[in-house]
Amino acid sequence: MIFTVKKRDGREMPFNIEKISDAIIKAFRASGELDEQIKAAQAQMNLLGNDDLLTNVALKVAADAVGHLEADNKTKPDIEEIQDAVEKALTEGGYADTAKSYILYRAERTRVREVNTRLMQTLHDITFSSAKESDLKRENANIDGDTAMGTMLKYGSESAKHFYTMMMLKPEHSRAHLDGDIHIHDLDFYSLTMTCCQIDLIKLFRNGFNTGHGHLREPKDIRSYAALAAIAIQSNQNDQHGGQSVPNFDYAMANGVRITYRKAYLSNMVKALILLTGMEEGEILPVVKKLHSEMAEMGMVATLVPNEKFQETEIRELSKTYDAEIVNKAQSFAEKMAYEETDKTTFQAMEAFVHNLNSMHSRAGAQTPFSSINYGMCTEPEARMVMKNLLLTTEEGLGGGETAIFPIQIFRVKDGINLNPGDPNYDLFKLACRVSAKRLFPNFSFQDAPYNLQYYKPGHPETEISYMGCRTRVIGNNYDPSREISYGRGNLSFTSINLPRIAIKMKSVDLFFKELDRMLQLVSDQLMERFAVQSRRKVKNFPFLMGQGVWIDSDKLGWEDTVGEVIKHGTLSIGFIGLAETLVMLTGKHHGESDASQELGLKIIRHMREFCDKESKRLGLNFSLLATPAEGLSGRFVRMDKKKFGIIPGVTDRDYYTNSFHVPVYYKISAFKKLSLEAPYHALTNAGHISYVELDGDPTQNLEAFEKIVQHMAKVGIGYGSINHPVDRDPVCGFVGVIGDVCPRCGRSEGHAISCEKLEELRKKFPGMPAFKGIR
Amino acid sequence: MSEKEMSLYGEGVGFERIRRITGYLVGTIDRFNNAKRAEVSDRVKHGV
Ligand SMILES: [Zn+2]
Repeated sequence: MIFTVKKRDGREMPFNIEKISDAIIKAFRASGELDEQIKAAQAQMNLLGNDDLLTNVALKVAADAVGHLEADNKTKPDIEEIQDAVEKALTEGGYADTAKSYILYRAERTRVREVNTRLMQTLHDITFSSAKESDLKRENANIDGDTAMGTMLKYGSESAKHFYTMMMLKPEHSRAHLDGDIHIHDLDFYSLTMTCCQIDLIKLFRNGFNTGHGHLREPKDIRSYAALAAIAIQSNQNDQHGGQSVPNFDYAMANGVRITYRKAYLSNMVKALILLTGMEEGEILPVVKKLHSEMAEMGMVATLVPNEKFQETEIRELSKTYDAEIVNKAQSFAEKMAYEETDKTTFQAMEAFVHNLNSMHSRAGAQTPFSSINYGMCTEPEARMVMKNLLLTTEEGLGGGETAIFPIQIFRVKDGINLNPGDPNYDLFKLACRVSAKRLFPNFSFQDAPYNLQYYKPGHPETEISYMGCRTRVIGNNYDPSREISYGRGNLSFTSINLPRIAIKMKSVDLFFKELDRMLQLVSDQLMERFAVQSRRKVKNFPFLMGQGVWIDSDKLGWEDTVGEVIKHGTLSIGFIGLAETLVMLTGKHHGESDASQELGLKIIRHMREFCDKESKRLGLNFSLLATPAEGLSGRFVRMDKKKFGIIPGVTDRDYYTNSFHVPVYYKISAFKKLSLEAPYHALTNAGHISYVELDGDPTQNLEAFEKIVQHMAKVGIGYGSINHPVDRDPVCGFVGVIGDVCPRCGRSEGHAISCEKLEELRKKFPGMPAFKGIR
Repeated sequence: MSEKEMSLYGEGVGFERIRRITGYLVGTIDRFNNAKRAEVSDRVKHGV
């Protein structure tokens, strides 16, 4: 006789045959195999409930199962053994369909149990390991996984992912994601948010805005412009899971400089007149103020680069009250002083802006907003002053000389505007190169690349190409071709395909394309599923993004309206990773090594782009192809493929798959050739792309070479690029540059102490050295 | 030796090494996940 059962956790429990029959009843209900008999029984004698027949049959099967166990001498069976016996009893009893549904029921229970175990294991890891040991905690390099809020975020994010894969995704999408055929990015935000947005600051500032913590009035000088820009980025970040970008930083901030200059001019004009006439402020201020506001009504204002109309009118009018010579003198004094003050204030405003973006937090305090700003093409003097000072403060670094991590700065390059000597902003381009050579930012985007130029309409900054720092690009608009702009738009969601796996599985090129097509369709369906979920969200779910009219056309919606129609301006992107490994698998060589591989690489990526275009047409939306940034992904795919297929040289033998279409980082190639090979992929990846060049040593020592690389990027049709070089810093002596084993300034090696005396001596030579605390 | 000469500073303080990963700058390599750390260490410089 059986008296006890061994549970999965090893505990022994009293045997209860009803538990077994309950499971069998469920299986019968699912199969419907007894339905006919139950009906017949019901017809025969109405009094007997249908459950009784079902229970009787189930108990009979359960008893048979127990018989099998006893026959096998299993007096303390475990769960698996019992289930095996039930399957056998069902099959022998002639209930084939029910046996099948019982097996499915078992599999489902196992799956749920495994998922729960996995979730618990994940939560356990988050709780008990430090970020140093746990890859999971370092999944996103800009979130500090060791802080309380960072850990809390991780609990939420991991639990949400489990929930969505189990309960919301279609099983085929869920399986493809869990198996590593595809990767659904930002899955933890699946039902909540869209990825990112380009914030038009000019529109946002026009009437002031509300952050949810009160109304902020239209800013009144460059300082408040810069402060509000940071607040807008932070507020919008709370409504999205990706980055935040400003497409028109130069144009928008220029307005702030204009106001600052006007105010500075007025106050200096008054000061000069006080000094030169010997009259009181109370007599002079009202006169000048009144004149300026009357002139402003007629469209005449003081400008950073003085305009004759204003100058002449002011002199004519003021000379009616004061001596003409004095007025002339006062005017040139005011112009000079106002310029200098505005310049200084603008520098401080930019310094504070950068500082703010590196220290302010969003998302429960665990993460600095992922911010980007685009600028470079506005040639107005006020915008030039903004860009110059932004670059200068970036060059200087944060308080202790540290390199600012945010915002990502993107300098927009265009021939005739800033690329070549003689262009009006060429000085700023050179400065941008100098700063990037020291601080890694700005990156460079290229307005003249044909696929960017096609959208550009001079005089319409909203048609200039804008990138989201990590590479996202939104400009074409299949949903509404009359709105091919970057302002107020962004990516809705993106999912990446594990390209190397398809190559490993299919081996031949023909079969590769067949399987690729299947994967593309799967991803497209998955993106549409998510789009449907996103479409049901309401304006009130995005109090800033939609509530303050940041997203295109959201200002036409009410608080309770769904966002489905306006988010059609956004993009649904299909990404990919590991083109290099794919090509090695298919041809033996990657595209850096062989022209034939490059040709095949382009054929693959073109094929994917054509699919996106086809889906856009078919669905009336914006499908686009993304060169996936893949921060957490490059390791995940290869780890799984290594387990599945073993080590394949040049394919799965490293700890990462190569980023999107890049030539592998380990491959020796010249900067120019690398860029020329990668540029054609930029033209195809309309959802975004970036190419990198790695430079040795300290590029500030060779700015000419640096500039030449950027010009080469422009020439070969790169859309977005940046130049990497080592930027090291010794926090002890404050040195910034390349540090090998030993700091070139103070001579200490990593982790070693030096004498305070030596530091004091160095301070005489380098007064900007950080103050050191905690002297021992 | 005087008191001042004996005082030392910087014990256990590492160098900061800023690198660009997928478009974003990251303050220290410690914060990279394993795959990215491997990728960064594999990077070769491009000649000009
Ligand atoms: Zn040092």
